[in-house]
Amino acid sequence: MRRILWMSLGIAALVCLLCLPQLDAQQFLANGLLGPVPVPPNNPQTDQKVRLGQQLYFDTRLSLDNTVSCATCHRPDEAWANHNRTDTGIKGQVGGRNSGTILDAAYMRYQFWDGRAGSLEEQALGPIANPIEMGETLDNVVRKLNAIPGYRQQFEQVFGTEVTTEGIGKAIASFERTVISGPAPYDRYLMGEKKAMSRAALRGMDLFNGKAHCTACHSGPIFSDQSFHNLGVGMDKPNPDVGRSKITNDPADWGRFKTPTLRNVALTYPYLHDGSEKSLLDVVNFYGRGGIPNRNLDPLMMPLNLTDREKADLVAFMEALTGTMPDIKAPELPG
Amino acid sequence: MRMRLSHVLTVCAMCLALLFGSLLPANAIPSFARKYGFNCTMCHSNYPRLNDFGQRYRQNGYQLPGREADEKTVLQTTTPFSARITGGYDYDKFENTPGAENIKQFRITSVDVLSGGLFARNIGYLVVWPPKIEGSSGIAAQPGIVEMGNVIFSKLARDRGSIRAGRFEPAYAAFSVKRRLSFAPYEIYDFTFPGGIAFSDTADGIELADRSGRGMNYAAGWINGSSSDRLDDSPQDFYLRAAKVFGPGEGQTAGQRLGLVGYFGKARPLSGGSREGFNRIGIDGSANFDHWNVAIQLLRGADDHALWGTASDIDFSGGFVEGSYLPTTKFVGFARYDWVNTPGEIDQDVRRWGFGGRYYFVDQLAAHLEYSHRRQDDLTEAGDATEKFFFGGLDLAF
Repeated sequence: MRRILWMSLGIAALVCLLCLPQLDAQQFLANGLLGPVPVPPNNPQTDQKVRLGQQLYFDTRLSLDNTVSCATCHRPDEAWANHNRTDTGIKGQVGGRNSGTILDAAYMRYQFWDGRAGSLEEQALGPIANPIEMGETLDNVVRKLNAIPGYRQQFEQVFGTEVTTEGIGKAIASFERTVISGPAPYDRYLMGEKKAMSRAALRGMDLFNGKAHCTACHSGPIFSDQSFHNLGVGMDKPNPDVGRSKITNDPADWGRFKTPTLRNVALTYPYLHDGSEKSLLDVVNFYGRGGIPNRNLDPLMMPLNLTDREKADLVAFMEALTGTMPDIKAPELPG
Repeated sequence: MRMRLSHVLTVCAMCLALLFGSLLPANAIPSFARKYGFNCTMCHSNYPRLNDFGQRYRQNGYQLPGREADEKTVLQTTTPFSARITGGYDYDKFENTPGAENIKQFRITSVDVLSGGLFARNIGYLVVWPPKIEGSSGIAAQPGIVEMGNVIFSKLARDRGSIRAGRFEPAYAAFSVKRRLSFAPYEIYDFTFPGGIAFSDTADGIELADRSGRGMNYAAGWINGSSSDRLDDSPQDFYLRAAKVFGPGEGQTAGQRLGLVGYFGKARPLSGGSREGFNRIGIDGSANFDHWNVAIQLLRGADDHALWGTASDIDFSGGFVEGSYLPTTKFVGFARYDWVNTPGEIDQDVRRWGFGGRYYFVDQLAAHLEYSHRRQDDLTEAGDATEKFFFGGLDLAF
């Protein structure tokens, strides 16, 4: 009798002991909210610099034929991405990759699908010099902008210099650090608003962290492990895009692409680096099939056996990651 | 009154566990899940059965494949301890079975304490310890023997290969006994000569394993073997296993798996005498169709006559077919048929059939209902030995 009493108490004590780490888990959830925007020490945010960056972001004069700006592909009205499968740059040239969103890009460690830019400053200059996108040389852009008094004056005020390549990158990056989405239903749920997410979304959250294996890569407040993975996208086609390995020359990176944020993902269709999946449900089905086999497929890619309802629940959860959009309009450009 | 009070306390303990279990967020359960903030269903199709992800995680030495550089050691994570408790109404009725005791009780049927994690990158460990419990009304006896206690060294060469050392669940059991859905045993895994090795037991020794990129899994082991051996008997039991997975997955819930196993050992007859040889050769398959899984194990045994105390060597065969339906993470249903065919000299043919289901209130708490019926030929002169087993209760991991 006494043995059973002690056994019962022991079990209860063990349960309580093992519940303690749950406090950590709750803390983890609280930390799941996006914190302050990371700002590099060598490029502090100022209102003037952000205004300058905003003008540059929307200015087509940064392109060779004055037809393409950053906002052409990363459109504010299309969740700072665009709904085309891949982008069209100057002279109607079509690129090979889908435009990633600028929303919350400030939280990403790497920029571009292959992570070739390690900062927004570096990223901002990439498309200008890309022959398919804006097709301009950086030197020529500097010359063109120096010839515009409004820009020349602002650069003097912000950087104390005339227009420079470095200044262009820093100004656009500063602006992009203001393109941040507001709280999503998911955030409000974590903050204690228990009705912020539908029951389907809550079921989807369980699947996201479990059976669907999403959180193995889409982790943390930004829903990205800030790393690169091979899902097999496009590997069933001739001459597939090999992604990260072109940057690193590391065979281990063959076919790997950056894990994008899932915040606002419901608005940034189509999906994957080649824009091959039109809807979130299509993406879930893609993962459900275990990706596309290839010699470097990520070992965590495998069929998921999701039911239709589970797929719908996952989509509902991802929709609950849609935050409020920043109120930013195209500015008047200096003449 | 004594009986009633013990039942009440048992039920109270289970209710308390249930209450806490229900209050926990679903992503916070046994030590591995807690470490990553995952739900159970990341690694278990329906716990305790592993899904393909979990199988790869286990094979990779308790590290997420491809994420080894980001892994935390056991000292950097939260409490690396977990427990599993099962309890409920246990009905086990035997006839013509020497030594078996009928049970009709509410009781805790098993308690396990588990710990697992990484000592360092590519060095993992797992310990499963059912604490010693002297059986009494309301709780089943446990001998308190460490069920598993092993270290696994992964990525031995060119990012491949692992060695598991200690007491572990060997690869010769194609279907994990410790992670099966039913509580009824796999008969062919348990069938052996007196004091012989049972495939359902964990084993002490070392196992070398490898997985190729083409879905091939290999394992070779060297273990102590039969319990009838003496302490000064050097280990002379070896096994080899190869399995091929067709399609993506590991054959757990995705992909189709076909495996072969060979086990070659020596054991000392319980009655004494020199060590004699025996072997087991088996083939297994795991097929997945949508939300259905069919598992098949065929095993043939050949034992020296001295091990059975018979005039001639004993060849037997058997296996099981198990079908399971896993529509969601909330429910799994299963049914199984086991058989063992033996020669007339020992005439211990076994037949077992059973079915059951598990409903998961949350990931880590399942209601379990199961019935099975077992018959074994003529263990006594009174006729066939039979067992009717029913269990209805809760299975909690936390």
